[in-house]
Amino acid sequence: MVERQLLVLFGSQTGTAEDTAERIGREAKRRHFQCRVEALDSYDVANLINELLVVFVCATTGQGDPPDNMKMFWRFLFRKNLPPGSLCQLDYAVLGLGDSSYPKFNFVAKKLHKRVLQLGGNPLLPVALGDDQHDLGPDAVVDPWLLALWDKILALYPLPPGLEIISRDVRLPPKYTLHYLPEDSPHPDGGLLQPTAPRAVPSELHPFAAHMVSNQRVTAESHFQDVRLIEFDITGSGITFSAGDVVMIQPQNCPEDVQQFCQLLRLDPDRRFVLKPTEPGTSLPALLPQPCTIQHLVTHYLDISCVPRRSFFELLSYFSTNELEREKLQEFSSAQGQEELYSYCNRPRRTTLEALWDFPHTTCAIPPEYLLDLIPRIRPRAFSIASSMLAHPDRIQILMAVVQYKTRLSKPRRGLCSTWLASLSPEQGDVRVPLWVKKGGMKFPADPDTPVIMIGPGTGVAPFRAAIQERVAQGRRGNCLFFGCRQKSKDFYCQAEWEELVRRGFLTLFTAFSRDQEEKVYVQHRIQENRRLVWELLSSGSARVYLAG
Amino acid sequence: MGEYGIAPGQRVAIVWDSSSPVEALKDLVDKIQALVGPDNRVSVENINQLSQSAHRESSFDVVLSGVVAGSTAQHSAEVLAEIARILKPGGRVLLKEPVVTESGNNSGIKTAAKLPTALTLSGLVEVKELQKEALTPEEAQSVQEHLGYQGNDLLIVQIEGRKPNFEVGSSSQLKLSFAKRPGPSGKPSVDPATAKLWTLSANDMNDEEMDLLDSDELLDSEDLKKPDPSSLRAPSCKELGKKKACKNCTCGLAEELEQEKRSSQPKSACGNCYLGDAFRCASCPYLGMPAFKPGEKILLKENQLHDA
Repeated sequence: MVERQLLVLFGSQTGTAEDTAERIGREAKRRHFQCRVEALDSYDVANLINELLVVFVCATTGQGDPPDNMKMFWRFLFRKNLPPGSLCQLDYAVLGLGDSSYPKFNFVAKKLHKRVLQLGGNPLLPVALGDDQHDLGPDAVVDPWLLALWDKILALYPLPPGLEIISRDVRLPPKYTLHYLPEDSPHPDGGLLQPTAPRAVPSELHPFAAHMVSNQRVTAESHFQDVRLIEFDITGSGITFSAGDVVMIQPQNCPEDVQQFCQLLRLDPDRRFVLKPTEPGTSLPALLPQPCTIQHLVTHYLDISCVPRRSFFELLSYFSTNELEREKLQEFSSAQGQEELYSYCNRPRRTTLEALWDFPHTTCAIPPEYLLDLIPRIRPRAFSIASSMLAHPDRIQILMAVVQYKTRLSKPRRGLCSTWLASLSPEQGDVRVPLWVKKGGMKFPADPDTPVIMIGPGTGVAPFRAAIQERVAQGRRGNCLFFGCRQKSKDFYCQAEWEELVRRGFLTLFTAFSRDQEEKVYVQHRIQENRRLVWELLSSGSARVYLAG
Repeated sequence: MGEYGIAPGQRVAIVWDSSSPVEALKDLVDKIQALVGPDNRVSVENINQLSQSAHRESSFDVVLSGVVAGSTAQHSAEVLAEIARILKPGGRVLLKEPVVTESGNNSGIKTAAKLPTALTLSGLVEVKELQKEALTPEEAQSVQEHLGYQGNDLLIVQIEGRKPNFEVGSSSQLKLSFAKRPGPSGKPSVDPATAKLWTLSANDMNDEEMDLLDSDELLDSEDLKKPDPSSLRAPSCKELGKKKACKNCTCGLAEELEQEKRSSQPKSACGNCYLGDAFRCASCPYLGMPAFKPGEKILLKENQLHDA
């Protein structure tokens, strides 16, 4: 009897590819396949030559780059020494997620498809090119492609006699079962961040609990935007970085939202629980302590402020005790209902918590063990580091704008991480922020005489502040900065710092204040006005030009 | 099926040259036109003008050339290629041409063997000689006039060919298998040496010194293309302003839609407004607000009473 096994491997940056991979996993289960769904870098690639059926789900991010959780795999795949017939046993298909407004649209999926073909794999279908630019998002491409894929796969691996595809009406088991510990168990200490012995350099799985040293507003109180210069103490973390690098910060939900969520779902925040995988071989979620409290799960793990996806409504419909709600939830999960869903959720940026509020009869009936299937985990946010280790050792500073905007929903939309960080104050006890550092895309010249032209309007100036601090500490004077903002008196960040450096001869500064006069003046106008100097720097000085914003 | 195997509705091209008597040509055209029906399905072309007419490729089901009685038309490689071009895939050409039976003359007339070859070289397949006839005295006379040939070893050959069933530019994947014997699962099994190389490499994941291919080289011009913007639009992307009544609408919108009467004000005492945005109709003044409990008094703020 042929084994019905399917492996789904994904590379996901924001969670969309992961969500799609999970969807394929569920559809596979309904067709009586044993299915594994894994991130590419978590999969032991030595086994790939033995696999018979694999679906790759890969997003393209940055400038045509693979997501972080498939970077190692990517470097392996393109090794020249891999023999051409390696994957001759493999039937495969590639589903790509990308955005056609970028020049390198879905490059990762396209290259992956061709490379696996080159290595002897047999493609079941042409590569799917999901596109964020479509009115209905990537699903416009994914839905029909998956139908075709299942036709191909079932032709190769027909359903065993007597078995049908498990109907949509039947609910699949959750990934984990949740076991409450008895109420009188002792409470765990601390939360996410245990002050353990120092280990290797901090990363996503082992963030560093940084103390917040200062949190200063750098825009005038009357200015519409709240921008902060925030400083963290990283003494003893082992973190090093250079200008252009990026700090990843793991945010958490605000107490009001956590409380509201627990009330809606009738959960007791203080109860402790452990998780057990339903299928052997599934690993437990990283970053979740065992045992854990409901409070911790909802505060640090479940992303209740994210915009819910189609899979959320699909799963939710199984718990509904109310016909009206169930019909609406099923509508939102159908291919025909995607327009409605986009209008209800995506366009106004409705949060998961707000959606739950709209379906009260369903929400109060959600079994807790389905929470991790229903709601994704909170993703870290990236910020350009705005300081240099040479100027401020053991410190990381960031320049952060608090995200706040209006959609047609009455309550304004807020950025999860920026709102949380803005709410913290060093005076309030021991405030700790989980963070780690990632290499950035910008590299500044090693040669001390190469001048640098930096164009950074608004908070785009953050990495340049780091670069300038670093270069000044190294005695390098070839620094030219074009900075733009709205008004000199309102959002000219770091004004005093720049003016000091200009006085000392370390910085040539050009500013463009767009709203200080009748006509709009932007950085590009200043570049145009000073074109002779810019040309000089480029032609005689071999200057490097950097742009951020 | 009519004469020459032409069916009604087909598009036919009739090619002639100056050797074809005008009356006979006219008869032929009329006959064919009667067969295929109206709507300009018959095109008539002089053999020397054929290329210049630049008919659209793959537009004809049948081409008849030199079939007019008395024709001594000769088909050059260029003409045959053009005929192949304008034929639809699977379409048929029927032509007649005088040939010599003995080779070694320099009259420009093809030998009997050369004619089928000429058709094949132009890309036509299923080339069949249908008929070989000796010339009538009139035809012999015509050949002498038009082609200047005096010999008496001529024959008129009727020959047909077809355009292959695929379009120029179509492609199909070659099934190349570097012949590994299938394993028990019916699939080729991996060569042990290959497997070893792969495994060795995989166990050395952290080696940064490995030589890498340039992945950009895998992409071709097709990959660099962006999707057509019109393909990105949803068929009927309705914005918030669409009118759709709630399931058990009590606010009157359902009736309004049926009778197409304009009501002056949306009623705010709608029984379903307390449900969230997912259930509210497009004219509900509570749009944008969360669901609330029935009976709860909600005071709309000033700015919410105006249209969004």
